[in-house]
Amino acid sequence: MDSRICQMLNIKYPIFQGGMAWVATYHLAAAVSNAGGLGIIAAGTANGEYVREQIKNVRKLTDKPFGVNVMLLSPYVDEVMNVIIEERVPVITTGAGNPGKYIKFLKEVGTKVFPVVPSVALARRMEKEGVDGIIAEGTESGGHIGELTTMALVPQVVDAVNLPVIAAGGIADGRGMLAAFALGAEGVQIGTRFICSDECAIHENYKMAVINAKDRDAVVTGRTTGHPVRSLKNKLTREFERLEGEGASKEEIEKIGVGALRRAVIEGDVNYGSVMAGQIAGMIKDIKPCKKIIEDIIDEYNTTLSRLRG
Amino acid sequence: MVFEKVKERISDILGVDPDDITMESSFIDDLGADSLDIVELIMALEEEFDIEIPDEEAEKIQTVGDVVDYIKDHADM
Repeated sequence: MDSRICQMLNIKYPIFQGGMAWVATYHLAAAVSNAGGLGIIAAGTANGEYVREQIKNVRKLTDKPFGVNVMLLSPYVDEVMNVIIEERVPVITTGAGNPGKYIKFLKEVGTKVFPVVPSVALARRMEKEGVDGIIAEGTESGGHIGELTTMALVPQVVDAVNLPVIAAGGIADGRGMLAAFALGAEGVQIGTRFICSDECAIHENYKMAVINAKDRDAVVTGRTTGHPVRSLKNKLTREFERLEGEGASKEEIEKIGVGALRRAVIEGDVNYGSVMAGQIAGMIKDIKPCKKIIEDIIDEYNTTLSRLRG
Repeated sequence: MVFEKVKERISDILGVDPDDITMESSFIDDLGADSLDIVELIMALEEEFDIEIPDEEAEKIQTVGDVVDYIKDHADM
């Protein structure tokens, strides 16, 4: 596929793998990069040494470009950024804020910066600060989410900036990818679909929960705290709903979320853990290698495009 | 004058009554803004007053007075 994104990043397909905390380890990132996409290691709230270890490991498994997702609210964000600069990571994506103050240092070592944004104003601000592209992420996504849908957000961001835009949220197959391109995106970021891959090194229960999920199961909790999160409905989300319904304090509500993602990803506790996944989880029915996931997306993208051309 | 213009912009973007906006109002606690509202407001004020509000400065802004003072110090008026 010929795309500005592929040329800029030297990748075969303009498909980013979502930087899912705890889920997106070097195993998954290497598999996606080897399959021609952009594999991404999630730094989450881990420290610099963890991230350095992950980077070293991904480099043992692939010689292709890869990225690191930096969560800007992490207490370790400064040391994670230092590791990224020292290791000259080819690409970073950022979440939960504005990476502005790091951009100058990242550019010095050639790291490309793609912030995940949920609004036009932030996209415009990021363009002004010199990022390389924008990931416009709709509320269909799993994990921490914004308000706008992918359908509404992507074309508005495309119109507002001159940078390549990557669409994220609700995309898991070739039809979704083509739809995103119709909206003006030049690439897609896919998270939930890659959870259900052979190479994703998480507890099997988590993958099965995604496979068993139906269309309405990826619910949002935490709206009252100002930090909404989308995850699969279970005992934990019900507890969130109960507390929010009772008007519990922000501290009380957020307390039950502490460590919940790790509990689901590592321990496989899909009842009381946080099984973060996007709305498209209902469409995912199998576990397959990353290479097959990407090839199927590209095949379907092409057949759908031919069908539309008639 | 700056305050009047800023007040108008805040009222537009946050949908609050201009009469409820004072120099002491906190964007988050009194006017119900979230971080994305603040980005939108900063972008709008940069255009209106033809100034740059760098992120390091934007991070320090908490009240309407903070932003009015910044504009008075930096805008060419």
